[in-house]
Amino acid sequence: MKRYDLIVVGAGPSGLSAAIEGAKRGLQVVVFDENEKPGGQLFKQIHKFFGSKEHKAKIRGFVIGEQLLKEASELGVKVVLNATVTGLYMDKELVVKIADTIYHYKGDAILIATGAAENMVTFEGWTLPGVIGAGAAQTMMNLHGVKPGNRILMLGSGNVGLVVSFQLLQCGCEVAALVDAAPRVGGYGIHAAKVARCGVPFYLSHTIVKAEGEECVTGVTIAEVDKKFQFIPGTEKHFDVDTICLAVGLSPMSQLLKIAGCEMEDNPKRGGQVPICNEYGETSIKGIFVAGDVSGVEEASSAMIEGRIAGIAAAQYLGYIGIEELEEKFEENKAALEGLRQGMFAPENRGKLIERTEEGIPVSMNLLTKGYIAEDEIERYPGVTHRAGIHPVMECSQNIPCNPCQDACPRHCIQIGSHITSLPVVDESAQCVGCGLCVAACSGQAIFLVQEDYEPGYGTVTIPYEFLPLPQKGEKGYGLDRSGQRVCEAQVMEVKTAKTFDHTNLLTIRVPVDMVGKARFYRKSC
Amino acid sequence: MQHINDRAIAPGTFIPEPDDNRIICRCEEVTKGEIRRAVHEGMYTITEIRRYLRTGMGLCQGQTCARLVKGIVAKELGISPAELIPATSRAPMRPVEMKVLAKEEGRHV
Repeated sequence: MKRYDLIVVGAGPSGLSAAIEGAKRGLQVVVFDENEKPGGQLFKQIHKFFGSKEHKAKIRGFVIGEQLLKEASELGVKVVLNATVTGLYMDKELVVKIADTIYHYKGDAILIATGAAENMVTFEGWTLPGVIGAGAAQTMMNLHGVKPGNRILMLGSGNVGLVVSFQLLQCGCEVAALVDAAPRVGGYGIHAAKVARCGVPFYLSHTIVKAEGEECVTGVTIAEVDKKFQFIPGTEKHFDVDTICLAVGLSPMSQLLKIAGCEMEDNPKRGGQVPICNEYGETSIKGIFVAGDVSGVEEASSAMIEGRIAGIAAAQYLGYIGIEELEEKFEENKAALEGLRQGMFAPENRGKLIERTEEGIPVSMNLLTKGYIAEDEIERYPGVTHRAGIHPVMECSQNIPCNPCQDACPRHCIQIGSHITSLPVVDESAQCVGCGLCVAACSGQAIFLVQEDYEPGYGTVTIPYEFLPLPQKGEKGYGLDRSGQRVCEAQVMEVKTAKTFDHTNLLTIRVPVDMVGKARFYRKSC
Repeated sequence: MQHINDRAIAPGTFIPEPDDNRIICRCEEVTKGEIRRAVHEGMYTITEIRRYLRTGMGLCQGQTCARLVKGIVAKELGISPAELIPATSRAPMRPVEMKVLAKEEGRHV
């Protein structure tokens, strides 16, 4: 039996963050992960993260994963892959299956960071090949380079459903519809808007009646549901699809903690069976810690902070640091965590209808039901302004903790202020130079550069563009509005790519002047 | 939350439903109807259901169906799923071949 100061189970965002903090304080740390690649869900996240600098905002998830791995390895953390922890016993003994052998380890402290597993819903035909979890689709696309299907229906409008739908589009799939039994879009409006302007129709208050096909999925029927989630007869809609993705929530994978005898609770707000733990993530068994989704389903940014706290707490538990250092670091991390848990999507607001922003502006109801802000709603947001010359238009309409746009502008045209969830405001006195750094910096792809007076009768719109192949300069195509409908002819005036844009390309299209407020996407053919 | 282990609950008579033949536990091919019927036959806890029908005992170890089975049993008993004692977790957490289990302690990594 081999002994380590700290044994971490799960090499995802929280596990690696904990390992780093432990190793920094002199602990000998090993991380086991059952997968062949480390990083947990991080390596599947190809989009830019939200938050502020301290939360690694505007960095793509997989890059954060690479950074964490590098830091861990520099600190001497051993990451063992294809290593399945099959049991956690008395006195912190772990049984690990590596290749075809069973090994025994003992940790003076243990951190369980096993994450969560996807939930399923059942309907007629749900066991047909072609019905997959949204996370599975993401694994196929982003880890293995395999296209999950050609025509896909997505069930679930939370951030997972929205983000994966967009990634499916990026991967060249057609998303036939985005469906959710809830009456309102559950995820960030900006994620919904990205998907909607590509022409994906949203069906809220709808769910799947049945998956069709004999050997595999060949189609799907959805129908509207009433307030009690009962199907309304006569509202059925059919789609020819070969794949159905389910993004209906996650459940913590907390079995190891139960095996170990940690006190557990069934807490629907945290996603299911979770350990009872203190503010440092320590469970009812001294020296066994938890962090990330296994202790309550949230997202990667908060998982990293929880991991840091638990790693530092483990160091204190083992006597490598004093209580003062733990308390001081805890306060810092707690502030960062609270920063992420603010705004409309804060945990306490889950499921609630919020009708006004913190600024008192009515929330776009069209965004919540159709996935995009309607024409008659867009002008109410402070980021949407009109002026001569090129200027940013920020279609950021919900209070989410995110602020990279204000740091991106070299001319300080964009202000969010000290309150991280505030909507971005344009400083009318600052002169935009049209550099496009804000467009590329916005993790939600919600900033556009607009020039209404480009030439007589025409204006330009610069849109963030993350699809390949890139359109060619001079190419003619069509401008699509926020709902993905073709509204005008458009010509590509410029395609900008730069290292600082980090793969968010800037596409400048010329459109009739009355379309500069409408055209938000470009397609060569419709 | 109070856990239910009340043998006095009377779930009433079993009334067939149109989707009773829908498979819920894919690994062990157990249908919704079988789970519902088991409740009427006196299996009120997840442990009993598991031993009676083998739900959640297959390859995925209930990763997919545990939540679904719990929902069906709770509904049949007219209680909230949170009131049901969850299934016991046991090692090995993941399926391990017997020949591997028998091959302990190689060279440490």
